[in-house]
Amino acid sequence: MINTSIKPLHLLFLVVCLPIQVVIAAEYNVHGILDFRVKHINSSEQGYLTGGQGKLGLGDGVHFSAAQIGADLSVSWDNGLSAHGVFNAYPEATGDGESTALGLTEIYLKYRSLPNTAGYRIQTKAGLFYPEISLENNAYAWASKDTLDSSTLNTWIGEEIRVVGSEIKLTRLGRINGDKYDLSFSATAFINNDPAGALLAWHGWAVSNRQTLWNEQRTFPWFPARQGGQKLAGQADKSDPFLELDSRVGYHTRGEWKLRGKGSISAGYYDNRAIPYKVVDGQYGWRTRFYHLGTRWRLSDNLSLTAQYLSGDTLMQSQAKEDVVNNDYASGFVALHYNWHALVANKKHKSTLRVEDFSVTDNDKTAGDDNNENGQALTLNHSYRLSKQWFLSAEFTVIDSHRPARAYTGQPVDLVETQWQFATRYFL
Amino acid sequence: MLKHSLFFRFFVIRFSLLRFGLPIFSVLIFTFASTSVQACTKEDPTCVQVRVNNVKNQPLANMVVYLEPLANQAVPQQNKTVEISQHSKSFIPYISVSQKSAKVNFVNKDDITHHIYSADSENKFSFKIRSGETDSSAHFNHAAEIAMGCNIHDWMSGYLLVVNTPYFAKTDLQGVASFTLNELGKYRVVVWHPQMRAKNNRMIIEKKLSNTEITTFTLQKAMDDIPVQKSDDFDFISDY
Repeated sequence: MINTSIKPLHLLFLVVCLPIQVVIAAEYNVHGILDFRVKHINSSEQGYLTGGQGKLGLGDGVHFSAAQIGADLSVSWDNGLSAHGVFNAYPEATGDGESTALGLTEIYLKYRSLPNTAGYRIQTKAGLFYPEISLENNAYAWASKDTLDSSTLNTWIGEEIRVVGSEIKLTRLGRINGDKYDLSFSATAFINNDPAGALLAWHGWAVSNRQTLWNEQRTFPWFPARQGGQKLAGQADKSDPFLELDSRVGYHTRGEWKLRGKGSISAGYYDNRAIPYKVVDGQYGWRTRFYHLGTRWRLSDNLSLTAQYLSGDTLMQSQAKEDVVNNDYASGFVALHYNWHALVANKKHKSTLRVEDFSVTDNDKTAGDDNNENGQALTLNHSYRLSKQWFLSAEFTVIDSHRPARAYTGQPVDLVETQWQFATRYFL
Repeated sequence: MLKHSLFFRFFVIRFSLLRFGLPIFSVLIFTFASTSVQACTKEDPTCVQVRVNNVKNQPLANMVVYLEPLANQAVPQQNKTVEISQHSKSFIPYISVSQKSAKVNFVNKDDITHHIYSADSENKFSFKIRSGETDSSAHFNHAAEIAMGCNIHDWMSGYLLVVNTPYFAKTDLQGVASFTLNELGKYRVVVWHPQMRAKNNRMIIEKKLSNTEITTFTLQKAMDDIPVQKSDDFDFISDY
């Protein structure tokens, strides 16, 4: 007969072994990216990353760099819980590059339930993470999948938009409901993104693969309103985008419709709900709100499309609640990806053509701080998969922009910049 | 300065899996292929054939056909182990069939982890399966139609049809499924496919089977699209 009573020894066994059971079920993963590049840039003397007026990360000349060393670490348990940490290093490039930076870009806990009988699944996330906006930066460590540099839209997301918060996402799976589409809706409540909008105002839209690290401050070009006695004299030299200044919770919501095997359409809205006249140690609250639309679509076996559009506003005020910076902004891109397997008979070659349009409209009357700009960019990328993990890429970018603020430092208001990049990227 | 060498070493060491469990090293796998039942011939007195045609009267392959005895014919229990593999982030085969109580092995042939599940209330199961592992923890002891997914890769979709008979097969390119029966007599002949647009995704004929007459089914409606178990070709997607 089976004896079902629990004896002390059994209890000891349970107490000792149950935690071990939890450990057993854990799976540790280390992923990442190594990205080595040589660039030839025809632009301003200095790129935007070092406070220059160029729209590219680096200025004029030839540069060698490890453009990204990223590690994407995770541990996941069988019960649906996982913990993630993403670290990125940006070693100093030759030429006028910024100094080496290394740090954390995301760290969060995630729980994903199994779908229930009705086909609904809940996912929650808590920690430091990107709100789900970019359709380009979905490779490990937030690297851009199809191009070396992200679009202006997502370069900005990587620079100024990051949240400490919690997200809940509900997905209705079509597979279980006899539908060909999945629907999902997510809502995030967050803090620590109050100064977002400052860098977009002061260097405009830019193109690179650089993400701001947690606790990192970023520089921007000089302009007359920063001088003593002027309206922005109180602004710190560098902007620290991931601060909580006013204890007000912001939010992001997003919905997505995904048609099986074809593509997806998504829309979202972000509002940091910052108090615009709040200032702490030279860091202002910027009330930044925008909506974003996106689609990924498989047009044929060889041809697919990614497109995104983002538009919003930002407001920063003096302590007397007068508008100091009041901007509207928009950026959108359409990218076509072509797989050459029909012609080359393998899946190793892929090309991407991306066209972009971007603008900032300055609505305030602050002297010596003109934030207006508009421009277009075009990027051509060809990538070859050398082996399972190694990729070789060549990428050409041209940006044509009109930015009156460049005159403050004696740079041409109208500027056409070009960049050639050759890269080898290794994904782990 | 970055300590490149140390960082790099840390970086390239892949802690892929911590496996303290007891790995099963020797599993004998009897693969159930789509044509597991040997095509029999008319000369065989207990050979029966079933043909499935599409709405345009053309032969339809990969349709599941099974025969359930209606006259108390004795049916043997098959000892076949069904293998459902996860390969290229898809279920292969898309449709598996097993006799109830048969062993079902899930085999992960990818280099990543999958999280296989069924959300069906009566046949709920889920397990994570690491690269290269075989899992046979799920038991299927009654007839059921089980839709399976992967909770990591939502596009993955597979079916396991559990039947109460050893007589099951998928139609070949000629749309024909053949069975060598132990006993002739009256059977329920069922054609099933998850994308068949018919009540319960089935067509049913009950009749006395013989080796001289082919039972033919012709679909009343066109088949629905079979889901494409395909994602982006890029292998290094982070789960953002």
